[in-house]
Amino acid sequence: MTTTAAHVSNARPLQESGEIRLVDVAKQFGNTYAVQNINLTIPHGSYCCLLGPSGCGKTTILRMIAGHETPSSGEIYIGKDMVVGKAPVERGTAMMFQSYALFPHLSILDNVAFYLKMRNVGKEERRQKALEMLQRVQLDHLKDRMPAQLSGGQQQRVALARSLITNPKVLLLDEPLSALDEFLRLRMRGELKSLQDELGITFVHVTHTQPEAIALADMVVVMDTGRIDQADTANVIFNKPKTPYVARFMGGQNVLTGTVESNSGGVFKLKSADGSTFEAKAGDETASAGSKLSVSVRRDHVALRRGDGTTEVNSIAGVVDATEYQGSYVKVTINTAGGVFVANVSDRAYFAEPVDTGDKVVASWSTEDVHILSKADTGVAGDPYLDGGH
Amino acid sequence: MTSAPTAKRSMLPTYLQVAPLTIVLALFFIVPVALVVVVSFFRYQMLVGIVPDFTLKNYIDLLSNPTTWTLYRSTLKFTLIVLAITFVLGFWIAYFLVFHVRSLLIAIGLFLVCTVPFWTSNIIRMISWRPVLGTEGLINSALLKMGVIDQPLQWLLYSDFSVVVAYVHLFTLFMIVPIFNSMARIDKSLLEAAVDAGATRWGVIWNVVLPLSKTGIALGALFVVTLVMGDFFVVTVMSGGLSGSATSGIFNDLQFLNYPRAAASAVILLIVVLLIAASIFRLVDVRKELVR
Repeated sequence: MTTTAAHVSNARPLQESGEIRLVDVAKQFGNTYAVQNINLTIPHGSYCCLLGPSGCGKTTILRMIAGHETPSSGEIYIGKDMVVGKAPVERGTAMMFQSYALFPHLSILDNVAFYLKMRNVGKEERRQKALEMLQRVQLDHLKDRMPAQLSGGQQQRVALARSLITNPKVLLLDEPLSALDEFLRLRMRGELKSLQDELGITFVHVTHTQPEAIALADMVVVMDTGRIDQADTANVIFNKPKTPYVARFMGGQNVLTGTVESNSGGVFKLKSADGSTFEAKAGDETASAGSKLSVSVRRDHVALRRGDGTTEVNSIAGVVDATEYQGSYVKVTINTAGGVFVANVSDRAYFAEPVDTGDKVVASWSTEDVHILSKADTGVAGDPYLDGGH
Repeated sequence: MTSAPTAKRSMLPTYLQVAPLTIVLALFFIVPVALVVVVSFFRYQMLVGIVPDFTLKNYIDLLSNPTTWTLYRSTLKFTLIVLAITFVLGFWIAYFLVFHVRSLLIAIGLFLVCTVPFWTSNIIRMISWRPVLGTEGLINSALLKMGVIDQPLQWLLYSDFSVVVAYVHLFTLFMIVPIFNSMARIDKSLLEAAVDAGATRWGVIWNVVLPLSKTGIALGALFVVTLVMGDFFVVTVMSGGLSGSATSGIFNDLQFLNYPRAAASAVILLIVVLLIAASIFRLVDVRKELVR
C-alpha cells in the first residue's frame, strides 16, 4: 500500500486542477425541475459560495458536484474529467454535511480514519495519520471521544478533518455554519477562509446567509428558484446586482422602477409611478423612451432630511415606519407611495437630526450612486424579499 | 426545614404511580414464576399427585435423562439455524425497505405485506405448507414433471427441513420489525458520508449500517430465540411427531399430571433462555443504544 501512503501524505500534484465546470446541468425530481440550465465555471482554488433561499436548488447543485445526485442532463467537469457517474473519491471531492454526518458508533479518531480504512490502510498507520489530521484541527486530545460527546463546533472540526484526510481537490460544504451559535459561526467562518488560503483547493460552500457569502467568497453565485441569477465577485454582486431579485436578496439595496422619459448625454431620466423622478448614468444599457427601467440605490448611500414632499430629482418622500439602531448605523424604514424604502443612516448623521416613526422625511441620493438593473422589476409576486426586511 | 416534609409527602404519589405496574408484574409474572420454582422441588407420587416436599429428584431425573439432552440439542440446533436464516432475511428486507424504497407510502405498504401471513391463524399457516411440501405437493410434482427427480423428495415434509421452513415463515417478521426500526433511525447522510470516504456498497453496509442496526438485531434475535425455544407445537406438527423440543418434554409431563417435573423442566428452560438473552445483551448494550 505504498502508493496509498504516498497519496495520503503528499499534497496533490499541481496539475490536478480543482476547476469545476457545469454545462447545461438540469436535475428533475418527478415532473419538477430542481435546477435547470445551470452553466457555471468555478475557477481552481477559489472560494465559491452558492447563495439563495431554501428550495432554490443550491444544495442540489452541490450534491451533483459531490456525486450524491446524478444530473438529469448536462455535464459536470472537475479539472479535465467529466465526472458524472463517477464515485466521489474518483472525483477528488469531499463533502462536509450539514449535520456533519459523523459515524455515531466510532470514536472521532476512527471517524477521521474511516477513509483510510476503506483504502485498506493498516490500523496503526491509519490511526497515526488520523491523529495528525486531528492535531491540525486541534482536537487530538479528544481522539477517543464519541461524536455525541463533542460540542457542535468540535463536531464540525472532526467533520472537516474527515473530509480533508481524503486530500480532495474540491471541498464541498453544505451549510457548514448553520448549526453553530453566532460566536462560533464567526470564528469558524474565519477558520474556513484561512484554511482555504492555506490549502489552495477549491471550496464550494452552500449558504442562505448573505453576510457569510460576502465575507468568505471569491465568487458568489446567487440563485433563484432553480437557476443562477448572477455569479460574480462579492463586491460586484453587492454593488452592481444584475437583477431586482439579486438586489433585494443581497439586501442593502433599494430597487426603484420608473418609465424612461429621456436619454440625454448618457443619462436616463426616469419617472416613477408615484411621480418622483430620478436619473441614472447609462453604461452599456440602452432603453427607449417610454420603456420601464429598474435601478438600485444602496441603502447607505441615501441621505435623509425632514420634509413634506419633494420635487427634486433623485429623491423620494415618505413617512418613517420604523427605526432600528444597528450600532454603527440606524436603519430607517420609510413608507413611500411606491412602496418601502430603506435608508441606512450613519449614527452620527442620525443623532444630529433624529427622526421617529410617523415623521415625514425626504430621502435623496446622487446620480453616481444609482445602478441600472438588467431587467425591469416585474414585481412582486412570490418575491419574499420585497418587504425590505433584509 | 421545609424540604424534609415535602420529600416525605412527595413519596406517596410516586408509589401510587408505580403501583399499577408493580401489581400487574407481581400478580402475573413474579407470583407464577415463584410458584413454578416452588413446585419444581415438590415430589410426584403416582395416583396421589403432588406432594409438598423439598427434593432435587426432579432435576436429577431430568439432567441424567439422555432424552432431555437430545431435546435440548435439537432445540438449540433449530434455534441457531432459524436465527441465522431470519437474520439474513430480516436484515435484507429491512435494508431494502429503509434505504431502497424512496417513497414512504410504498415502504409502509410493503411493510404491511410482510405482516400478511399474520392475518390467519398459526395452524392454517402451518397446514398450508403441506400441499406445497408434501409427497404429491406442488414442489415435488413440479420437479417430477420437469424430470429433475424421478422419486418424490421425502425430506421436504415431516422433517427438520419443514420445521425450519415453518419457523422461518412464522418468525421472520419478528426479526424484520426491530431491525427496520433501528435502521429507520440511521441518518441517511451517514451512508453518503461513507460513500464520500470511498466505501463500496458492501463497505457501507459492513461499517455503517450493520453496526448501527445492532440494537434491532439483538432484539430480533431475542424474539426468535425465545419463540423457537418455547415452541413445541410447530416442531410437532411440521416434523410429524419425529422431532421434539425442550418444551415437548414439559407438555408430556403435564399430560401425565407430573407437575413437579414439568416445573423443573420449565425452570431449566427458563435458565437456558435467560443465559442466551444475557449473552445477547452482553454483545450489544441495548440500553446504551436505545438512548443514542
